[in-house]
Amino acid sequence: MEQSPQETPFGSEEAFHGAFAELYPRLVSYARRYGATFPEDIAQEAFVILMQRDVRVEHPTAFLYGTVRTLSLTERRPMKNQNLSLEAVSEPGLAGGADDQVLNQEVRERMRLLSPTFREALWLFVVEGLSIREIADILGIPEATVKTRIHRAKAQLKDQLNPSGGVHVLV
Amino acid sequence: MSWSDPARRFEPAEDVQLRAELRDLLGLGPVAVASTPAAPSAELAALADDLRREAQRRRRTERKRPTWGLLAAAALPLLAALAGLGTWGFQQKHRADGLALQAQRQEQELTRMAAAHAAEVAQERQAKEEAQQQLQLASKQGGRKAEPYLVIPVEKPLKFQGDDYQRVKGKP
Repeated sequence: MEQSPQETPFGSEEAFHGAFAELYPRLVSYARRYGATFPEDIAQEAFVILMQRDVRVEHPTAFLYGTVRTLSLTERRPMKNQNLSLEAVSEPGLAGGADDQVLNQEVRERMRLLSPTFREALWLFVVEGLSIREIADILGIPEATVKTRIHRAKAQLKDQLNPSGGVHVLV
Repeated sequence: MSWSDPARRFEPAEDVQLRAELRDLLGLGPVAVASTPAAPSAELAALADDLRREAQRRRRTERKRPTWGLLAAAALPLLAALAGLGTWGFQQKHRADGLALQAQRQEQELTRMAAAHAAEVAQERQAKEEAQQQLQLASKQGGRKAEPYLVIPVEKPLKFQGDDYQRVKGKP
């Protein structure tokens, strides 16, 4: 399905402005967590790429996150550090942005102890608030795999909170 | 989120509950639901418009490369190879046809020569038989044995006589 030049991927112009205002800071923060040197440029480029497409994108949010992830990893490619996968989340000084105000030291430490694969899915699901389907689109994996990773991350978090194997008070 | 995204509009209840549990485990607390979405700032709105214009400019200036053109470009070496092979095959077939025609003509010529030679041999054999028959017939009629060679009858030899000539005086 093609979109007309006046139409935006988010619908009307007003909806586009609202989506941009909400997503842009999060995308900048997301690019920064991947260690991008110019996270603002990457987030803006992702929006341009999304609106440049002739074919309408089904899940624009997932498309934007996926594009930012790809561009950030491409920018890091010469450094041969593509396998870090959100390592910057737990590194003070590297991870910045609005989300750091919500993530206190304890949360960062819990996230750091998770394996990178689970941490990425958990971050997108909990902190970014994306759906399972969107995360599957971003990471290029099946939805069942995303669910598995999130549930394993949950199990690891429980183990962190109660290493002796007892029942956690919050569960 | 203030704008509607189909992926989040139809999110299953179990996923929402799982997210809440995970937020609890991380100590993040419940998701704050904004009653009224804050209006985007003028700077962000201007930036969004700029990006939209940039996307439109790229769409206008983007060189459209049709799919069939790419396919044709990809298939060009294959087509060239096929054409070359076809031309070579056609030449080989043409050459083989010429050689076959030439061989057929040579065979026809040889057959014709063999037939002519056989006819000539038969004719000579027939002539020989006729000659033998005539010879036998002549031998029977003449009562003589047929000589194996030709006999020429010879006249009585002439004698040279001295007075059979006179001298003729020469001119004065």
